[in-house]
Amino acid sequence: METKTIIEAAVGAVVFAACLVGFIFTKGKLKEMETPDPKLKKRKKLLFIGMVIGAWFLLGVVITAFCGRKPGGLHIEFEMFSQRIALPFGSLTLAKTTVTATVVTLLLVVMLILFRLLCVPKFTDGEPKGMQNVAEIVVEFMDNFVHNATEGHFVDLLSPFMIGMALFMAGCACSELLGARAPTSDLTCTLALGLCTFALINFCGVRKNGIGGRLKNMGGAMPAMRPIMIPLKAVSDIAVPVSLGCRLFGNMLGGLMVMDLLKGVLGGYASGLPAIAGLYFNLFHPGIQIYIFITLSLTFINEALEMPETTKRGAARRLSRKSRKGGALS
Amino acid sequence: MLNYIGAAIIMAAAVIGVGFGMCFATSKAIDASARQPEASSKIQTILLLGCALAESTAIYAFVVSLILATAK
Repeated sequence: METKTIIEAAVGAVVFAACLVGFIFTKGKLKEMETPDPKLKKRKKLLFIGMVIGAWFLLGVVITAFCGRKPGGLHIEFEMFSQRIALPFGSLTLAKTTVTATVVTLLLVVMLILFRLLCVPKFTDGEPKGMQNVAEIVVEFMDNFVHNATEGHFVDLLSPFMIGMALFMAGCACSELLGARAPTSDLTCTLALGLCTFALINFCGVRKNGIGGRLKNMGGAMPAMRPIMIPLKAVSDIAVPVSLGCRLFGNMLGGLMVMDLLKGVLGGYASGLPAIAGLYFNLFHPGIQIYIFITLSLTFINEALEMPETTKRGAARRLSRKSRKGGALS
Repeated sequence: MLNYIGAAIIMAAAVIGVGFGMCFATSKAIDASARQPEASSKIQTILLLGCALAESTAIYAFVVSLILATAK
């Protein structure tokens, strides 16, 4: 070991030990007093912070000394698509994120089966307790959310679907905490989720208004313009899954890259700090993305559910009524 | 080398626009919820949706610049 490393480790150890001794001493003193002195309390807080910093520095020095630093400074190998692993038979390869996604799905299925077997039989009609509260909160929240977004259509179909989607995405985000690359930071996975939404949009639209109604809805109010408007609307409909997929993919990839950069910069000192940053980049940020994904899906579905405008006159009447209302309000 | 310069220019341009857009949206939302505090939860939902849509342009630029930067 170099002398520099030893000096650094010694400094860290001394700071840690001094702050620890001071912290314990101050704590004992504070306990003896009947009315705690604010000055001493402040000193206790400062000593605690010093202790944490000393311990972090010491740990970083020790880890760097034992594991060594990568030569050539910071260098991040980055790939758009995840690495592929070869299957033991044949010449097929599998993306690593596919394996992660399968594991996440299996874990979720096992957890939900356990939930069904252990918790659901205990549910009562009376006063709920324990897991029943959690389940009721989740289901009720999503039911209300879907009800508000689609004005009460297809709540029984959409609500479980959206809960499943949210659970899958949350599970994928949690897999990033364990060091795997999140499946949602792979373009194929997010595009698949977007295509699910695309299928659902068209299914709901056709189910409610019929194929002719769906086409009318796409064509807009004026019958003469429909031959031009329908292809244009079809193009913008095809852009929906692409935009949903790319949005989720870009956001998750951004979080992944920031975390990778942080870990690369900190090197051996990366104990504790990435965990705090990970709370934002791996849990909070995906949570917002899940919310946005579901809200946007429901918005698009609601757009497809709208009743087609039948006549020009009806549209004009509705418009004039709206403008009159606006005039009254302002 | 030109790849990286292009990626940087794309990111910078997109981020400037998105920053302005989200700033406008947020300031209007603050105005609206100060005027009508009882509607703030609804305004928040709309704001989040709008911010997501505005942000997505930056995300597209990010993806494009990544493709440029990792292209061989």
